[in-house]
Amino acid sequence: MKQFGVILRFEMGNYLKNKTFIGVTVFLVLALAILLFFPRIAALFKDDGEPAADAGDGRDGPVMLLDASDEDEDTLLAAFSAAFPNYEVRLADGTDIESAIADGEAECAFVLEGLSRYTYYVDDLSLYDMNTDTADEVLGQVCKLAAMTAGGMTAEQAADILAFRPEHAVQTLGTDQGQNFFYTYIMIFALYMVILLYGQMVATSVATEKSSRAMELLITSAKPVSMMFGKVIAACLAGLSQLVCVFGAALLFYRLNRAAWGGNMIMGMLFDMPPALLGYMLLYFVLGFFLYAFMFGAVGSTATKLEDINTSVLPVTVLFIVGFFVVVSAMSSGTVNSALMKICSYVPFTSPIAMFTRIAMSTVSWVEIALSTLVLAASVIGIGVLAARIYKVGVLLYGSRPRLGDILRSLRKA
Amino acid sequence: MDLAFESVTKSFGTQTVLDGVSFHAHSGEALGLLGRNGAGKTTSIRILMGVFPADSGRVLADGAPIDRAKVSMGYLPEERGMYPKKKIFEQLVYFARLHGMTKPAAARAVDGWLDRLGMTEYRDKRLDTLSKGNQQKIQLITALAHDPDVIILDEPFSGLDPVNAMLLKDVVKDEIDRGKTVLFSSHQMSYIEEFCHSIAILRGGKIVLSGSLRDIKRDYPRDRLVLRSERADDIAAAYPDACQQREDGSLLLRLPSPEAKGATMKALAEKYDLDEMRVFEPSLNDIFVEYAGDNEQGGEKA
Repeated sequence: MKQFGVILRFEMGNYLKNKTFIGVTVFLVLALAILLFFPRIAALFKDDGEPAADAGDGRDGPVMLLDASDEDEDTLLAAFSAAFPNYEVRLADGTDIESAIADGEAECAFVLEGLSRYTYYVDDLSLYDMNTDTADEVLGQVCKLAAMTAGGMTAEQAADILAFRPEHAVQTLGTDQGQNFFYTYIMIFALYMVILLYGQMVATSVATEKSSRAMELLITSAKPVSMMFGKVIAACLAGLSQLVCVFGAALLFYRLNRAAWGGNMIMGMLFDMPPALLGYMLLYFVLGFFLYAFMFGAVGSTATKLEDINTSVLPVTVLFIVGFFVVVSAMSSGTVNSALMKICSYVPFTSPIAMFTRIAMSTVSWVEIALSTLVLAASVIGIGVLAARIYKVGVLLYGSRPRLGDILRSLRKA
Repeated sequence: MDLAFESVTKSFGTQTVLDGVSFHAHSGEALGLLGRNGAGKTTSIRILMGVFPADSGRVLADGAPIDRAKVSMGYLPEERGMYPKKKIFEQLVYFARLHGMTKPAAARAVDGWLDRLGMTEYRDKRLDTLSKGNQQKIQLITALAHDPDVIILDEPFSGLDPVNAMLLKDVVKDEIDRGKTVLFSSHQMSYIEEFCHSIAILRGGKIVLSGSLRDIKRDYPRDRLVLRSERADDIAAAYPDACQQREDGSLLLRLPSPEAKGATMKALAEKYDLDEMRVFEPSLNDIFVEYAGDNEQGGEKA
């Protein structure tokens, strides 16, 4: 036990004195600070700022050209301007539309052939370009308005009818997936990054000791179990402290700037997470981390050369990545409670991420959570013991990379 | 601390690495563990240190099965290696603490040894900035800093210059005088002869010769004569099959039996003008080659 403490402190020191580790943490915290203080920083500049910009016609943004020579251009211009508040809508007036867009004078253009047919010109069509949908709606409205007024209604009556929208409210009894999506995504991505990154570090650390032959000394000075657990727990604590730093800084900076962000919806969605979820994140981080770090450690002990380490850990990495993608695709299709996800939330290799996602994005009974956690915890212990035994055998195997069969055979003897 | 191996057997897969190995090492003495590469030395050492268990047989400390939690051991492995990127002092303290020392005690011991080996100036340098010989001196500290009862040195002299070799010799002699049990493995027989009271020669996983070095030399069959003479050629012609020219120019004459010694010596002294004539006493090197080598003779004698 005393030996374990010595190893744990030594390994922790390796992380905390590592310049990359400190650098990445500081960088992330600084980046978060800049991002979350942005409204204040922006306000600071605005105060000194150029009043000239505001004194313009009140509209800026990219230029949208409108060519509707056969129709009532003024009505259409007004309708488009209202429908595209982010654009400065201008009439084409005989400008060569293609060259205007190519030269960057305009970003896009609508060329109308009557009200029922148009061509949309744009340089690069963005994935999120919804302009044609909006234009369809505007033209539809214009047509309907024209038809109604032609049928004898006043313009006001027609506008009232067109403006009709039923009021509706959503009462979420379980969890609102739209609300949870962003922070769940960020949290599982953090789990993914940290587990994979620190798991690899454990593997590399073991393989380095082996290839530098420091192992000869270590294995005769310390118990393999102490060494394995010391290394894994040190990496876990290092990863955890990094997570706490980054997430803590993000929460703190957001609190400080909540007023400045005002009602920004995305920020609200990101930070409005139930505290219990942070507790679950901690639980699944620790268990998931141990599970994978033990596997990485065991694999690292069988690598003979440091160069081999990337290929050696590949199976473990792939297992983890596949699990991650199953969960992410379930998340984006909104089927977090599909049969596949339910299975994944009990299989220990995927349950840390799968169960966490289900808890975050749906309603899961505590029985399911307890059962999944139990299976995971039992697997952590089992894999930990197995990993320590593989480690004990693996670290003394030099020469060619041992095959799985060799390791298993020597395991029975060890 | 008296150490003993009793019929220790170990195999990896189908390969038998140790086959009924027995030897003794006594406190205040050094035991030379000899053998060619792959003879089973490192496996014996690892079993002694508890890295893996023996398939059968026992390892005894003072007559009782060894309790590795109580017997402290220091090991200088043949495959040297520590943390190349870490500061020397830091890692030496770490290794000493792995052996159960407290931090202050470990720091004191490490500083003491750095001073003794003349390495204090490198205390806060990274290990990989040192020359090979100096790295080896640093690694020696990991074997000694926690003041172990048993010291295992595997090829401690390889890579050391003569001055450092002298320094190391003094250190080893001191440790032996302090009553430590030293297990010494080397291919440089001169060092073994200098330190070791007794030896055990391993060959193919078996002990082919063990015991006190003096006894081994004394019991060695006294059936060969070393001769030096101006008329060496004539002597060689007179004993055509039994004579052998040695590297230093002297002749080695093998007798039919040790009993023939007196008569042969008398005859030779009368017949030839001899500069030197003595009974051949083998060096450890000769013994090693004979027992650990590939020739069948050694095997039969075992």
